[in-house]
Amino acid sequence: MTRQKVKMAFIENESSRKATYKKRKRGILKKANELATLCGVPVGVIIDSPYDLTPEVWPSREDMDNVLSQLQRLPVMDRTKKMLNQESYLKQSISKASETCKKLTKENKELEMKEVMFDCLSGKTSPSRIEKNDLGGCGNVIEQYLRNLNRRIEILSKNDGASSSSVHVVASTSVAMPIVELGSSSTAFCDMIRQQQIQSNMNQNVGGLDLNQQQW
Amino acid sequence: MVRKSKGRQKIEMVKMKNENNLQVTFSKRRTGLFKKASELCTLCGAEIVVIVFSPGKKVFSFGHPNVDCVIDRFANINPPNPRQHTDIQLSEARRNAIVQDLNNHLTQVTEEFEIEKKRTEDLKQKRKNSHMRENWWEEPIEELNLSQLTEFKCGLEKLRKTVTTEACKNFQAIVPRHNFYGGSSNNSTFGICDDHTDNIDTDLDLYNHQRMVATNTFACNQHNMMVPYHITSPFGNIANSNIIEGFAPEYNQNPNQFCFKQEQMSECDQHSAHPPRFGHGYY
Repeated sequence: MTRQKVKMAFIENESSRKATYKKRKRGILKKANELATLCGVPVGVIIDSPYDLTPEVWPSREDMDNVLSQLQRLPVMDRTKKMLNQESYLKQSISKASETCKKLTKENKELEMKEVMFDCLSGKTSPSRIEKNDLGGCGNVIEQYLRNLNRRIEILSKNDGASSSSVHVVASTSVAMPIVELGSSSTAFCDMIRQQQIQSNMNQNVGGLDLNQQQW
Repeated sequence: MVRKSKGRQKIEMVKMKNENNLQVTFSKRRTGLFKKASELCTLCGAEIVVIVFSPGKKVFSFGHPNVDCVIDRFANINPPNPRQHTDIQLSEARRNAIVQDLNNHLTQVTEEFEIEKKRTEDLKQKRKNSHMRENWWEEPIEELNLSQLTEFKCGLEKLRKTVTTEACKNFQAIVPRHNFYGGSSNNSTFGICDDHTDNIDTDLDLYNHQRMVATNTFACNQHNMMVPYHITSPFGNIANSNIIEGFAPEYNQNPNQFCFKQEQMSECDQHSAHPPRFGHGYY
C-alpha cells in the first residue's frame, strides 16, 4: 500500500494526533538508539506532551543527567554553536534544499541546451528559432563543448603524430565545402557531413574519413 | 542493467568498524533524527530536546521550543511564573506562526526539487531514446577519432557564430541602431552585425542606452556575456577583451548594478552633449 504524503502542519484531529504522536515517538527513540549504538556516541532525548504524564526520557534519567553534565562542561560557544530550534532548523533545511534545487535546475538547463545544440547541428532547428533567453545558455554549452573538443584533439594529436596527414585531408575537404552564409547555417553541419560522405565515396582514397565504418 | 550499489541492507546493531563510514553514518543519521524531531513538534505540538555528541566530541542539539527551556523544565530549575503565562502564550503563538510559514516554504522547495528531478529523468531518457545514434557527433567525445573531432569542431564553431549573430540581433532590436560610440561608419559596435547605420543621434544620451541595455537579453545572461567574445568579424579579428570592455565596462565589473547605475547619475552627466564615455573610433 503506497504511503500517503503527510502535510507538515499541526494535526487538528485529536485522536489522529494522539496516534501519530505515539507512533512517531517510538520511532524517534528507536532512531536515537540506533545512532548511539552504531556510532558509539552519547545521545539524550526528552519528549514531553499533553499525552504523557511525565516526560519521556531516553536512555534513562541517569544517562540523561550524564549527557547534560557533559553538555554543561563545554564552554558556551561550543554548546550553542550547533544548537537548533524549529525556526533555525527549518531555515537551515530550506537553504540546503534551495541550493540543491538550484544546482539541479542549472544542470537541467545545460542538458536542455545540449539538446538544442544537437538539434541545430542535425538541422532539426536553427539558431533563429531558439528562445531569446536561451541563446546565452546555448552559447555557453557550445563554448564548453568546444573546449572539451579542443582538449581531446590536443591529447589525440600528441599521441598520434602519424595521422596528422589524415587530419590535413579532412581539413582541406572541409574548407572546400560550400560555406553557407551565417543566416542559414543551421543545416550546414549535417549537410556538410553528408556531402563529405558522398565525396569520400567517390574518391577511393579516403584519408581519415571513414564515417560509415567508424561508429557501428 | 548494472546495479550501482547493493541497495538497502540490514546492518548489525553494533558499533561500526570503519571510521569513515562511522562518520558518514553519524552525519546522515543525526540529520534524519533531527528531521523526525522537527516533524513530531510540528505535527503533534510536542516539546522535545535531542542532544547528540559526535565522534569528534562536538555537540549537536535540537530543541523545541528551545533546548535550554526544555532542559530547565526537566531539571526543575525554573518553574514557570504564572504571571509570565500570557507572555509565554503570545510568544508561542507567534513562534508557531513563523514555524508554520517555514514548514510551508520547505514543502514548496521540496516539491520544486522533485519536479526538477523528474525533469532530469525525462531529459536523460530523451537523450537515450533519441536519434537512434544516427548522428556520430552526438556520441561521447572520447569515442570520436581525430578527424571526426576536427570536423565537429568546425561545425560547432560555425554554429557558435550564428548563435552569436542571433543574440546580437536581439540586442539591436531593443537598442536603437546607433553607433553610439561615435565611431566611423565602417565600425559597428560588434563588427558582425551588418545592419548598422552611421547616424549618431546626439540627443540620445548614453545613459538612455544603458537603461535600455538593462532590459535586454544580456541582462538575463549576466554570467555569460558570451556575445562578442571570440568572434571573427568580417571586419577582422576583434581582440578578445576590447569589445566587452569598450561596450559597457561597468557591466563587466558587476552586471548586477544595471539598475543602480541610473540613480547615481549626476545632472551634468545627463547632458546630451556629453561625449560618449567609451571613446569613439574604438575599433
